[in-house]
Amino acid sequence: MSDLIVGISDIKVSNNAGDVIITYALGSCIGIVVFDPIAKVGGMLHYMLPESTLDQNKARENPEMFADTGIPLLFKSCYKLGADKKRMIVKAAGGASILDDTNFFRIGQKNIMAMRKIFWKNNVMIDEEDTGLNYNRTIRLEISTGKVFVRSSGGEMKEL
Amino acid sequence: MKIVERILKSINTIPAFPATGNKVAQLLTKPDYSVNEVANVIKFDPSITANILKMANSAYFGPRHKISSINDAVVYLGQKNLLRAIQTAGISKYYKKGALGYFDKVTDLWEHSVAVALMSQIISQKITGQENTTLYTAALLHDVGKIIMGEFVRDSLAKISGLVATQNISFLDAEEIVIGINHAELGGKIAAYWKFPAEIIDAISFHHRPDLLEKEEKIMPWIVYIADQACIMLGFGGGVDGLSYRAVGQVLKKFNLRMKDLEMSMVLLSDDLSRAKELISII
Ligand SMILES: [Fe+2]
Ligand SMILES: [Fe+2]
Repeated sequence: MSDLIVGISDIKVSNNAGDVIITYALGSCIGIVVFDPIAKVGGMLHYMLPESTLDQNKARENPEMFADTGIPLLFKSCYKLGADKKRMIVKAAGGASILDDTNFFRIGQKNIMAMRKIFWKNNVMIDEEDTGLNYNRTIRLEISTGKVFVRSSGGEMKEL
Repeated sequence: MKIVERILKSINTIPAFPATGNKVAQLLTKPDYSVNEVANVIKFDPSITANILKMANSAYFGPRHKISSINDAVVYLGQKNLLRAIQTAGISKYYKKGALGYFDKVTDLWEHSVAVALMSQIISQKITGQENTTLYTAALLHDVGKIIMGEFVRDSLAKISGLVATQNISFLDAEEIVIGINHAELGGKIAAYWKFPAEIIDAISFHHRPDLLEKEEKIMPWIVYIADQACIMLGFGGGVDGLSYRAVGQVLKKFNLRMKDLEMSMVLLSDDLSRAKELISII
């Protein structure tokens, strides 16, 4: 039984019923949670930026940093533990922005668009989403139940 | 007594800022300074001496030699990094108690401050072609007002958050409405009490609204502003204020920056942060 902490630009996956996967302080970054309820395999990605074209070398070294390299890696890592794409539940949280964001500061919005585009292209439905607005979020995934909880800064844990 | 008056009065209870950094900076300007002379100034300050060796060996400062004495630090660190290490060690002691009204954890404000200081150097490099030690100090201190404000913010949090949520105003404006002063302005007053130069005081006071500073040509408040917003967005040291700050759009045209530049500086920051663990862990 352990808490697996997902850092920024990081992925954690598990098929151990005692594990809880957590990521803290998502601002404009996005946390993607996937779970296969039959295989009891779950994983979480905390990505920072939308597109790996920004820095291809970085993307090779740390694919978890970008949506377009991190999301496929998250799925592949879960398949290795026996998860099946058809059964996987997908939830997402984060992508916050500062107030009246100009184009310059729209990374939260860009991160949301990037994720939706990737899932749409791959015929994957996002089952639940808590994105946008202007607060930080923490996400928890319980492998035993597949339940996902989101806490906004200063607020209560709520099931997503 | 009104809250503002109580807050301003409590500035006088903050211990004086260590003069070590300034003294060392002055010595280093003399062409014939001796290593012993500089090392002795540092050793005179026990709290800085205790932290500086650990930091000096951090990959962020990139020493080519293992640094095991203050004299080594003076010889091998280089002037810029020596001064940064001294300032980081000196400032860290004020952040030990954190700013609990704003943050869940005691260390959050320090982590945020170090991240903004590192980011300020990346942005400075991008905009001016060089790093800047004074800017580094200003960035490390930009939220120092939160140390005193924390307590008052905690008591008024429901009111402040309510205003932010319902009136679509920034956390900064809500602080001002509810408490009578915002953390940036208060931070500037603390820096003035510590007798920092005007450019550091301005950079702190205007770190959320550099557009309001009349001395428009001053670049430091803008760089601290960009660095801070980037770290807030990345969730580095995010507190109850979250992302509730207003974007100052002019920043783009002013420095001819593109969104891609901001994204690239975020990539660089994550590298720097992984090399700067010692800076974060000293408190
Ligand atoms: Fe601030
Ligand atoms: Fe800040």
